[in-house]
Amino acid sequence: MKKIEIKISGKPISAYAGETIVHALWAAGMSESVQTGCAGGVCGACTVTLRYADGRPGGTELACMKPVEEGMEIFPCPVEPDKAVEPVANADALTLQSVFPTVNRCTKCGSCTTACPMSIPVMDSVMRMQEGSFDKVAEDFTTCIHCGLCRFVCEDKVKPHSMGLWIRRSLGKSQVELKIDVENSDRVEKEWQYLLVEGKQERMQRAKIFRESGGLPE
Amino acid sequence: MMEWAKESLGKVERSRSARLQQPASFPNTNESESILKNFHPDYSGKERTLVVGPNAGDKKFPLELADLLEADSPLPISYSTKPDIETDILILGGGGAGASAALALEGSGLKTHLATKLRLGDSNTIMAEGGIQAALAENDSPRKHFADALVGGHGENKTELLRILCESGPESIQWLSQHGCLFDKNSDGTFRLRKGGGTSVPRVLACRDYTGLEIMRVLKDAVRLSSVNTLEGHAAVELLDDGNSTVTGAVLYDRKKESFVNVSARAVILATGGSGQLRLQGFPTSNHVGATGDGLVLAYRQGCRLLFLDSYQYHPSGACYPEALAGQLVTEAIRSMGAQVVNAEGDHFINEMAYRDVLAGAIIKETREGRGITTPNGKMGVWLDTPMIDLKNGEGTLAKHFPGLIHRYERYQINPSQTPILIYPTLHYQNGGISVDAKCKTEVNGLWACGEVTGGLHGRNRLMGNSLMDILVFGRRAGESVKDDLPERGPLTMTSLNQFRKTQSNKQSSPIFFPVASKMKLKFGKTEIETEKLDSSTSNESNGFEPPDPFAR
Repeated sequence: MKKIEIKISGKPISAYAGETIVHALWAAGMSESVQTGCAGGVCGACTVTLRYADGRPGGTELACMKPVEEGMEIFPCPVEPDKAVEPVANADALTLQSVFPTVNRCTKCGSCTTACPMSIPVMDSVMRMQEGSFDKVAEDFTTCIHCGLCRFVCEDKVKPHSMGLWIRRSLGKSQVELKIDVENSDRVEKEWQYLLVEGKQERMQRAKIFRESGGLPE
Repeated sequence: MMEWAKESLGKVERSRSARLQQPASFPNTNESESILKNFHPDYSGKERTLVVGPNAGDKKFPLELADLLEADSPLPISYSTKPDIETDILILGGGGAGASAALALEGSGLKTHLATKLRLGDSNTIMAEGGIQAALAENDSPRKHFADALVGGHGENKTELLRILCESGPESIQWLSQHGCLFDKNSDGTFRLRKGGGTSVPRVLACRDYTGLEIMRVLKDAVRLSSVNTLEGHAAVELLDDGNSTVTGAVLYDRKKESFVNVSARAVILATGGSGQLRLQGFPTSNHVGATGDGLVLAYRQGCRLLFLDSYQYHPSGACYPEALAGQLVTEAIRSMGAQVVNAEGDHFINEMAYRDVLAGAIIKETREGRGITTPNGKMGVWLDTPMIDLKNGEGTLAKHFPGLIHRYERYQINPSQTPILIYPTLHYQNGGISVDAKCKTEVNGLWACGEVTGGLHGRNRLMGNSLMDILVFGRRAGESVKDDLPERGPLTMTSLNQFRKTQSNKQSSPIFFPVASKMKLKFGKTEIETEKLDSSTSNESNGFEPPDPFAR
């Protein structure tokens, strides 16, 4: 693999082209410079901002998912979590406004969408939040990892990901309660007796039969 | 992209239409056993006998883990155990199990602290993709769930625990839904259920390929809204006891302040998760950076017996190309929707829904016997024929159901709807762990455990979707059980640790807290506590002081 040079907070280190920023930092003994959690692109801990040597516009990334390239400059950008807000069943746009008063301050600059490492159409979704199209918002934020970058870059203090979660949880709490069937207790007991027989081999044999016949054997 | 694999990819494409018509067979019992014995890493013999602690004399511990279990504590001998925090219940671990335990304690009036060395939610839970099992289908029952999991676990599962898991499935989904979890649904509003490897009926609920993320972000939010005191960036370094073998608290290390914090608690719940970052036998891992088996080490020094730790789950489909994704999970749900596993010649060498351990072994067999694909960096793998999903289920299906997969590969100009992806087994799950009873009590008073850190529930092979259910069911159960059975507060001593230290002579120190490859260390040396590190085999006298180095080799 090709050796290249990158910079972390101004300090040059060498790295292999193609490895992620996190792995490059590990190899250089600089793991503490960027906070990590899952190293798999879903916990949102390792937020960074980047600058490229060739003058392409930089931006925000997850260090665990972004491969390094020659001359890349990396700056740690940790985002503190936002305060949690209690979800509300059967919420609508007015409820949202009352708990997130900044929702209407959006000036449609689009920074949030640009900042999102998960390619969520954040700004469009904020518009949908204002309208109360919550089902669509819930869909938009299915892949949200709550890295907080959309909130971090917002100059108008809109909190897209916090609202996304609040809307998802509020919709979840409005779901019809799941009915759990009450089963015939005689049959249930018989089946457990059959399956929980003493002796590992016999138990295994019975479990196989139970699986294949879809229940107690005839 | 992937020009280097053009020839093999051509073969995969040419065999596709024939493969679409004809599913591959499942290996029979004898074939499965032969694959496992000859190719599964659990059978490679890279194990040794433990010489100290409750499992001394047990022969089968992976080398990397055995070293940690026998190592010394990073705490200085003369360490002061004066409590800094007094709480009723201390939960160690900020993943799904810890969060579930915390939520079960809400409203009990008991003071609860939850400590995690990372941030709340940074865990294996959040990385789970494919789904969670619960017997919700009309033709399903907890007994069928039980039978499936028992056969999958090679009959070795602790039946008492497994029955609880299966019987608690539907209610746990209800609980999650009430907390606001959104699972994928059919057009009629019922939960969409899929098959997983080894399930006899569709039983796996999902939220796309972000099921763990959905569960964890909801639990995390609920914990933040609860009265639980969350200590983020606090690593658990050691458990403390009352001098009479009852656990009474723990020593934490505050990573930000770089200082130790002693917690006095009436009960400790271990929810520290697994150990994939030990990267046994050089395998890559799908685990988060904190999965270094810390809980096993801590419990072992207190006298907890460990079960089934010769058994690890190597997930058959870990990404193997591009290099940057190596080890990351490619969910089994993709296979359950029809993506076949194919070798370099385009042969569909095994049914992709074979049990995880057998399938992992079979993939290793193909590569060892020369039927794998070698990447430009010398890694080997086989194909997961992802374009079949759209062929079978209609265009756009893969992207709709597996946005995470598409998202991860697109920055490498690989579109899994068009091109197969390369996979190789990745170290995924610690099947074994601390022995617990049905109330999540360990064999040591004052200490409870739940989730991946425990062993026995899954036997020797876990089915897809049973670990997410495990952490909910047993996390909540641990919380409930503690409430019912809370010991009085006791003094904080290092008696059990000192007992352990007398028997051990290993200079290494553990837990390691972070993967070796990360070179990340806790800077114990900067604490104000004067440390007097003693040669454990000689005396209790101090002989000068030096800062303890947990990574000293």
